[in-house]
Amino acid sequence: MLKSLKKDRVLYLMLLPTLLFFLVFHVIPILGMRLAFYDYRIKGDNIFVGLKHFEKLFSTPVFFQILKNTLIISAMKIFLFFPLPIMLAIMLNEFRSGPFRKGVQIVSYLPHFLSWVVIAGIWIEFLSPTTGVVNLFLNQLGMESIDFLTDKSTIRWVLLASESWRSIGWDSIIYFAAILGIDATLYEAAKIDGASRGAVIRHIILPELVVTMVTVLILNIGFFMNAGLDQVLNFTNAAVNSRIDIIDTYVYRVGLGSSQYSFATAANLFKGLVGTTLIVSTHLLSRRLTGKGAW
Amino acid sequence: MNRKITPAKVIMAFILSFLALTMLVPLLNILAKSLSHPDLVHGLKGYHIVPRGFSLINYQVILAQPIVIRSVLNSLFITVTGVILNIGLTASAAYVLTRPKLAGKKAFMYFLIIMMIFDPGIIQEYFLMKNIGLLDNLWAMVMYKAVNVYYLIILMRFMENIPASIVEAATIDGAGHMNILFKVMIPLCKVPLLTVGMFYGVYRWNEFFHSSIFLTAKSNTVLQVLLRQFVVQSDTQVIVGAANILANNNIAQLDNGSLKAATIVVAIIPILLLYPIILKYYTSDVLSGGVKG
Repeated sequence: MLKSLKKDRVLYLMLLPTLLFFLVFHVIPILGMRLAFYDYRIKGDNIFVGLKHFEKLFSTPVFFQILKNTLIISAMKIFLFFPLPIMLAIMLNEFRSGPFRKGVQIVSYLPHFLSWVVIAGIWIEFLSPTTGVVNLFLNQLGMESIDFLTDKSTIRWVLLASESWRSIGWDSIIYFAAILGIDATLYEAAKIDGASRGAVIRHIILPELVVTMVTVLILNIGFFMNAGLDQVLNFTNAAVNSRIDIIDTYVYRVGLGSSQYSFATAANLFKGLVGTTLIVSTHLLSRRLTGKGAW
Repeated sequence: MNRKITPAKVIMAFILSFLALTMLVPLLNILAKSLSHPDLVHGLKGYHIVPRGFSLINYQVILAQPIVIRSVLNSLFITVTGVILNIGLTASAAYVLTRPKLAGKKAFMYFLIIMMIFDPGIIQEYFLMKNIGLLDNLWAMVMYKAVNVYYLIILMRFMENIPASIVEAATIDGAGHMNILFKVMIPLCKVPLLTVGMFYGVYRWNEFFHSSIFLTAKSNTVLQVLLRQFVVQSDTQVIVGAANILANNNIAQLDNGSLKAATIVVAIIPILLLYPIILKYYTSDVLSGGVKG
């Protein structure tokens, strides 16, 4: 070990800044999470209180509502959104490479690169009860305008819709690349058999996409505890917050907003442990089933 | 693929066009709104993509606000300095971790993967910045997320594929590791480095949550945070200024929606400038219709 340290000292020196970065900006804060087991003191040493903050957390009814919101919003985003990029990729593949297909692709990838602040700004306009396109359309149908952003029954659907709008194009890339990679002889064989386009999609394209689908689905489940902090912060308001308040927004509000540092750290540690377990197990499961892991 | 025009294909063309329009029309609508004449903008509906009349007054007003200029400069500083740091650290770490005989490589990789999946959370990050005196210092946001392990792994995959003989030849010529990294590896990895740099850049330009916590002084505001106060939280004062509102002068009488639209456009422009490069390098194979082996 010492010998190789000496021989490769330049290499280790080149790695040092990265290691230092993680030690300072990552390891120190992770170690700081032990605050969950202490009472925070502004002056003097923090006092060890064991599981007090966790007991408080699990006896706080609001926390269960927040956990429920997190799980519902994640489930909507993972399962209801899941088929959309696949459908987009399959439809794109039905058109020859040309200005139409390229145009749709270029436009549909773009929202992925916009910040949630910008997307929220666009969607506030989009859903505006007076000038927004959606409500103008509803008015045309003889219906009254709906204020989607302040209505408790619609707000989660707004999160799903805006997430889909942002990600459908970008997430279709992996499926589209998989379709382009399908062996051309399969198509020729189908042609000789006189298969219809529908049959080709059902019996050639979809089966070829299964591995990608399973990988994407499993790995997304690994991020179940992250329901989308940046998005919620930009779409939330007093009227609907109880429906879309998630663990991350709760930790932020309780911790930095009302200075309950220890309690919020306990909530954050709970989320971190569950989340890490999920990511590691879905990674291992995916690697076992499809040979592809999260990293 | 299929050259025949069938009813199914017509329906698909319709669906795809509709999808593209839901993305294009709101963006063009915002542009139209920002360029419309203040007296005519009230007739502009959500589906209009051509400005009503023409005026640059909204841009003149927001770009005359010191806070807007300040926040754009802050965002640019964090993005540019941050990406240089990102690329420097990521490229050298990827180079080191792809050297075949490095002792302890596996341990380093495990460490980095733990760093990737376990996030310390905002409270401890806030305390850290406070303790090391970086709170309300733009460098806090430059240092934050200086290495993304996922991008590091992507870069390692590329460097692994560079034939060992090239590096060996350079070593025989007497080049040290730093020389090999800068004169051999980086030129050979131009495309993946540019791609990864682009993703780092987009992330940094778009970041708002940590900026809003680490940078609280007005002079340190970044553009996304200002945009959020103005557009999402409808705090007109941050842009128009309390004095102008009180005096109800020309600025305060401008259409708020148009001012917001102009600010959104300013925040999108750098992304639109980078977007063709992203398309060229990252998605060129799916756009041209062939997968590179």
